[in-house]
Amino acid sequence: MAMNGTQGYRPGLVDLATGQISREIFVNDDIYAQEQERVFARSWLFVGHESQIPNPGDFFVSRMGEESVILCRDRAGQVHVFLNSCRHRGMKVCRYDDGNTTVFTCPYHGWSYGTDGALVGVPYFREAYRSELDKAKWGLVEVAQLACYKGTVWANWDAGAPPFLEYLGEFRRFLDLILDGWDGREGQAELLGGVQKWLIPCNWKFPAENFSGDSYHNISHRSVDLVGAGPSGKSRRDYGELNASRKLHVTIPDRGHQTITYLMPKDHIPQAAYQNSPEVAEYFRHCEEERRKRPGANSRLIGAPGEIFPNVALLPRQPRTLAVWHPKSAHQTEVWRFFFVDRAAPQEVKNFLRDYYIRYSGPAGMTEQDDMENWNYAHAASRGVIARRHPYTYEMGMGHAVEDYEFEGFRMPGRVIDITTAQASEEPMRNLYGRWAQFMEAESWDELMGWRKNAPREAVAAK
Amino acid sequence: MSDPINIRDLAPGTTVVLLSGAEAEIVDNPKDGVWLFARYLKSPDDPGLIGQEEMIFAQDVVDTRS
Repeated sequence: MAMNGTQGYRPGLVDLATGQISREIFVNDDIYAQEQERVFARSWLFVGHESQIPNPGDFFVSRMGEESVILCRDRAGQVHVFLNSCRHRGMKVCRYDDGNTTVFTCPYHGWSYGTDGALVGVPYFREAYRSELDKAKWGLVEVAQLACYKGTVWANWDAGAPPFLEYLGEFRRFLDLILDGWDGREGQAELLGGVQKWLIPCNWKFPAENFSGDSYHNISHRSVDLVGAGPSGKSRRDYGELNASRKLHVTIPDRGHQTITYLMPKDHIPQAAYQNSPEVAEYFRHCEEERRKRPGANSRLIGAPGEIFPNVALLPRQPRTLAVWHPKSAHQTEVWRFFFVDRAAPQEVKNFLRDYYIRYSGPAGMTEQDDMENWNYAHAASRGVIARRHPYTYEMGMGHAVEDYEFEGFRMPGRVIDITTAQASEEPMRNLYGRWAQFMEAESWDELMGWRKNAPREAVAAK
Repeated sequence: MSDPINIRDLAPGTTVVLLSGAEAEIVDNPKDGVWLFARYLKSPDDPGLIGQEEMIFAQDVVDTRS
């Protein structure tokens, strides 16, 4: 399959009818350039967490696609996301990772912006500009839309995109699994430590696909299982409850989000976990009991790897972390990994989890090293002229997803493949690339909100 | 030409003398090395500035008075 002009991504490159996808979408520089406009300039992207900017003047320099952005809280307490580029000649106005400031000053010619983005300082404004420059027109470029959801901050450059919660759709409950407390209380997450950042030599879609729910690659982590890096000294995680659960691939087809999730039976009993520390084990036992007392269906779910389209990966539990796959080029990705704990958790629990998290994830994490080795070599081995002629197969489980999946009174949203016995499917990857192809073909968001055509207007407005 | 002044070292309360001959008292220093927030005390060229608070550009600062 060769690239077929600028159109025809689905028939030419992402063929969901046969379950084949061209390697070109991973290694072709022209496709990568189009992705920046068609995917990253109009998707909701994760930029940070409010706990990183608690005070007026606090800022955290983040990324949206290839571009540097500033997440900051202005002097009045309002949260903003700005393009980190001076309006005069483009120099970065902030070159720190984070901090507190009254102004963002460009070091090139000295233009200076307030934390609300307004242009406040122009050298020789009276003399050289003769007071004729309209400062109000030349503030920092601000995102078209911004959403704060349970502490997380998301932004979108496209004013025509749907609001964030509508963009999430029914995937919201899976994001809640990482942001709500271990005991089920809403929005208890805070960042633990700093953000781990590192470069990997592969296209951003390799990790995005993997975290969409690739349970087929578990053999890669066999060595970690054998080492017993988990919080009970066995395997990678505590799997006790998983053995009694339904293991599901859940995809939200019209949104492009997907995940593995474990659905526990009714009236299940919490299993022992975190056995490397009696105090931590007791804390989580208590939290699990509390979680089961709370109303709401999420008490029967155990979160597992998932992906919010396009480039945000979730791991709601063991470890509890969120990753962003920032594109740097067709052949390089900058990974940012954020770790979460409940802000009210005892310090001993946070310390225990810090050790476990970095043992598992990040550039030094044993499991993430396994993954990176796979992605990096797969990318390199797909760049050659011969390799590009041969598509990858994503046929596993085709035709076996169902809607209205139900287990002991719990109805799961989206399209579901029960992989309790099958162990794996490639439905999540087909969902990811199907949505990716829609974005690459669509001229605007009007073509990307198929759900609105069938939904009553008031239902859409309510979202 | 006098030596350049490192405005990052100037504390609020310090009076700066500007190229135009004006004088202003620092009210805040963002310590970016480029700007000061200051209130005009004297302004021979434009008396209307006296009492106003403005951002002062580093290259306009030629001297200080404590």
